[in-house]
Amino acid sequence: MKAAVFHGPGQPLTIEQVEIDEPQAREVVVRTVASGVCHSDLHFVDGLYMWPTPAILGHEAAGVVEKVGSQVSYLKPGDHVIACLSVFCGYCEECMSGHPNLCSNKAATQRAAGDKPRLSQKGQMVYQFADLSGYAERMLLHENALVKISPDVPLDRAALIGCGVMTGVGAALHTAKVAPGSTVAVFGAGGVGLAIIQGARIAGARMIIAVDKFPAKLELAKKLGATHAVDASKGDPVEEIRKLTGGGVDYSFEAIGLKVAAEQAYQSIAAGGIATIVGMIPLGQKVEVAGYSLLSEKRIQGCFMGSNRFRIDMPRIIEFYQQGRLDLDDMITRRGKLEDVNEAFRAMKAGEVARTVLMFD
Amino acid sequence: MKAAVFHGPKLPLTIEDVELDKPQDREVLVKTVASGVCHSDLHFVDGLYPFPAPAVLGHEAAGIIEEVGKQVSYVKPGDHVICCLSVFCGYCERCMSGHPNRCSNKAATQRSPQDKPRISQKGKAVNQFADLSGYAEKMLLHENAVVKIRDDVPLDRAALIGCGVTTGVGAVLNTAKIEPGSTVAVFGAGGVGLAAIHGARIAGARKIIAVDMFEGKLAMARRLGATDTVDASSSDPVGEITQMTGGGVDYSFEAIGLKKVAEQAFNALKPGGTATVIGMIPVGEKVEIDGYMFLTERKLQGSNMGSNRFRIDMPRYIDFYLQGRLNLDDMISRRGKLEDVNEAFRAMKAGEVARTVLMFN
Repeated sequence: MKAAVFHGPGQPLTIEQVEIDEPQAREVVVRTVASGVCHSDLHFVDGLYMWPTPAILGHEAAGVVEKVGSQVSYLKPGDHVIACLSVFCGYCEECMSGHPNLCSNKAATQRAAGDKPRLSQKGQMVYQFADLSGYAERMLLHENALVKISPDVPLDRAALIGCGVMTGVGAALHTAKVAPGSTVAVFGAGGVGLAIIQGARIAGARMIIAVDKFPAKLELAKKLGATHAVDASKGDPVEEIRKLTGGGVDYSFEAIGLKVAAEQAYQSIAAGGIATIVGMIPLGQKVEVAGYSLLSEKRIQGCFMGSNRFRIDMPRIIEFYQQGRLDLDDMITRRGKLEDVNEAFRAMKAGEVARTVLMFD
Repeated sequence: MKAAVFHGPKLPLTIEDVELDKPQDREVLVKTVASGVCHSDLHFVDGLYPFPAPAVLGHEAAGIIEEVGKQVSYVKPGDHVICCLSVFCGYCERCMSGHPNRCSNKAATQRSPQDKPRISQKGKAVNQFADLSGYAEKMLLHENAVVKIRDDVPLDRAALIGCGVTTGVGAVLNTAKIEPGSTVAVFGAGGVGLAAIHGARIAGARKIIAVDMFEGKLAMARRLGATDTVDASSSDPVGEITQMTGGGVDYSFEAIGLKKVAEQAFNALKPGGTATVIGMIPVGEKVEIDGYMFLTERKLQGSNMGSNRFRIDMPRYIDFYLQGRLNLDDMISRRGKLEDVNEAFRAMKAGEVARTVLMFN
């Protein structure tokens, strides 16, 4: 099959032939239909986070089940599925206490080091990224990396739910638990930021302030539910937010992965407020908060994949979409082919797109 | 009346005569019976936090109502009360949403600048500290700065509840809301840290790790409920805690006020864990958190006065004391007179005491 292979930081992905093994026991082969190009992949391509090479990136995909292992009961060939990197064992302490996204026993869902690799090239292992590797025509996954969805949902829209939408909506609904009537600021109006804005709207926030440096993104943010927009290229967003709210927001979100935006998000909250860091801040960078400010009971917290229990959450997100309460259509800026993945990274960096989705035939 | 007067950072307090005005409208005059010497006063004496001089410090006191203003209905002369610096207006957004400790309208409980000052010396205002000024024979307070208590509780024990105990127990029960069966690390086994340990025990934590540099304090911590101790003078507490718990604690508490310790408290968490900073970190110091740590949903939050609703909480803490579930007796290391306040600061710095309580006749 064809896949986009990662050979190291700073290099474009290359389209190559890769072999995929047969599904074992609880594994599933999924024919990829749509694969979103998410900012987190770019972190690895840019060398801000590490991954061993050669590898197949991509972690926001949806498709159709083609083949299942002998012990799979949850799915059958023909089922429509969304893949999620929050693969869970289902029986560790984190899984059993409602936090499968923090599963501490992922090895139970992976092949052992001595086994035949899931992905290979001329007999040599190709690393699977995030237990998924979605920039490929097929994916070989543990069944607990999948959720079955209704076949009447377009799979390009469904793919977005696999990472960016789940992360953003989940950050608002699960991690921060935005309360109705509250005030919210979202730093970064890319795919994840727009999903947070939509999550805040679903949760009933009365004021949703989008912060970005690109006017076009702020326009889209307003279309998707932001009540206010702050252009961070034209002044200090912290000041602006304090002015708009009379002292700070109840909840802020960082959806870029920048130290300075994380610190601004924290500085923008009122006493008792919660800043949630959704973006991936590069390794080695420290977020600094003034010690005395903690006396006003502020909180800064991390978020991983929207604190999802994705088998519960993703079908709910689809219902919101079908009810017209969550706009996925406008979040897909461009569609492309697997070959367009490097161009999609460029467009993302340039702030031209919320999301490019790669389509497979 | 006699009071210990603060004339500026790094100067010893001096015992002087000051005048107290008559109670107006909603004010009450309290005869001080016991006044605890708490670390936060020391922060101001050491100049780590600013406060205008001259002032009367002290903010952990209990006593008996002597006189009430004409609009006071909550207390009457003879009532035993604990004072609390979390004076609340009772009608701002924060008070009305269950967070009176963050009252944003304290001016409504204070005299305005053009009024006669509550405390003065030869016609010149002496600043009231934390709306209390407990290092004095009498206190003139807004009625919303006191809670009425049963009169069979010794007032020296009650005084501790006024700040240190409420701060520590409340940080665990109200701010962090720890769960039964969880694991806890408390950094600093002074008055507040010991109270946090008590709180963790009351809430049913299965492992309570006390961290301190003084063996005497660790022994006291074990006596009051710590299940394990770590001597931070001879080991890396983060490494120790990670090893003891197999990956970190669910909840950690910083009860000293040191940047470095706040960072250790955060780094000692397991994924999804919550670090609560109780101590007052000096103005100008920043807590630095590795950005990538947020990807594991760790949380850093501040606690102010144990997120108290003190009129609700303090009578409950007294019940715990009377039931033998909260050991206040052992938390008083020494008793002294008002004149001993500077010696009490020295003993606290030297790590000799959990608490000195100044007694008035």
